[in-house]
Amino acid sequence: MSSGTLVDQLEALLFVTESPATLESLASALRVTMGQVEQGLELLEQRLSERGAIRLIKIAGGYQLCTKEEYAVAVADFLQPQRRTLSRALMEVLAVIVYRQPITIAEIDATRGIASEYGVRSLVERRLIREVGRRPTPGRPVLYGTTQQFLHHFKLNDLKELPPVEIKAKDAE
Amino acid sequence: MAKRSAVLEVTQESLGGLGVIAPIPIHVQTPTFSGSLAALFHCVRERKIDLRDVPLFPVCQTYFEYLLTLPNANLEEAAAALAALAYLIERKAWSLLPLPVPEPEPYEEELAALGDLPSYDLEEAIETLQRWERERERSFFRTAEPTVNAYEVPYELDAITLADIARAFEQVLARSKPEPLQPLGRPRLSLAEVMKLLLSRLPIEPTTLLDIVPEDVSKADAVFWFLAILELVRLGQISILRDEDQLLFGRATRA
Repeated sequence: MSSGTLVDQLEALLFVTESPATLESLASALRVTMGQVEQGLELLEQRLSERGAIRLIKIAGGYQLCTKEEYAVAVADFLQPQRRTLSRALMEVLAVIVYRQPITIAEIDATRGIASEYGVRSLVERRLIREVGRRPTPGRPVLYGTTQQFLHHFKLNDLKELPPVEIKAKDAE
Repeated sequence: MAKRSAVLEVTQESLGGLGVIAPIPIHVQTPTFSGSLAALFHCVRERKIDLRDVPLFPVCQTYFEYLLTLPNANLEEAAAALAALAYLIERKAWSLLPLPVPEPEPYEEELAALGDLPSYDLEEAIETLQRWERERERSFFRTAEPTVNAYEVPYELDAITLADIARAFEQVLARSKPEPLQPLGRPRLSLAEVMKLLLSRLPIEPTTLLDIVPEDVSKADAVFWFLAILELVRLGQISILRDEDQLLFGRATRA
């Protein structure tokens, strides 16, 4: 199989996929090695960046095609998507979960100093967080962690891309 | 032990104001309370005195002395006094029991176990996430879900106003019955189930709302049916036509 053909095939697969495609799934579908897929994706990324309105990005642990930012206004005018940006309070709850996961609601409350149950419920509904288990303590409270959708929502490939945070000194509070 | 002294007083007027047999007027004297048994009973019931401070032994002793010394006493009065005495003993017994220590709620227990949590400076992280969220909005992906606002799906009602629809609904409400009393309750159909049911019974020819909504529904169910109709109109599944002074609802035909 020539590399040109592989790049075209990868483009076709990524065109039809509705969620990030992993290296493994692409390699398995095209019956090639993951190294070949990686090389093909590099070529595809380069080719798309040079022309057209689509680009290839690494997101939520996989690869996906999306529109280039310069066409954002035109696409938004056409699709008129519902804006679902998070409020400051929801963002705060999410940030606590992101940096301290897996975490219980009680721990989130203790960290923020206010009740966070509503925020947690909203984030679960938005599929940005999910139950990841239960803490083996009295009451077996639910532990929450982030989802693939969280990575997708913030265009992250991995949680390692999150900015580091510092622990506040006690007297600074 | 408390000083035991009691004076027995018996009167013939033992019927209370409410027609209840009043207990015999036993005068009770203890270091902490002096008065009739009825007064003690009243004070305890109204929580005006703490029964734990009142020894009940002299009260019981006075009662038995009364029974022994006056064998011809009114049996009903004596029974009323015994009931009052039983109440006092029971109350005192309960008050002497140690109070159960309330078990902490699992949540409170968990909070207490947390101790001092490290506090993170999340301000910068939150700002970064907000910036990324704004940037992410500028990229569009293929999706199986419709991205248009579901609540802005256009539907044509022509000259029909909301007031016209409300009038059609008022007719249904006027016909429907009040909510029947159901001790155990009956699970209400979900809106989705009512919508499915509604679509299945929607005749091909447009008809009135009165014909669509079942006759035997309660007022609350009628509201539910109406909501389902509105939802189906919004989704373009039901069309509304005007026929003189009434509205006809029918299955929408796609162009």
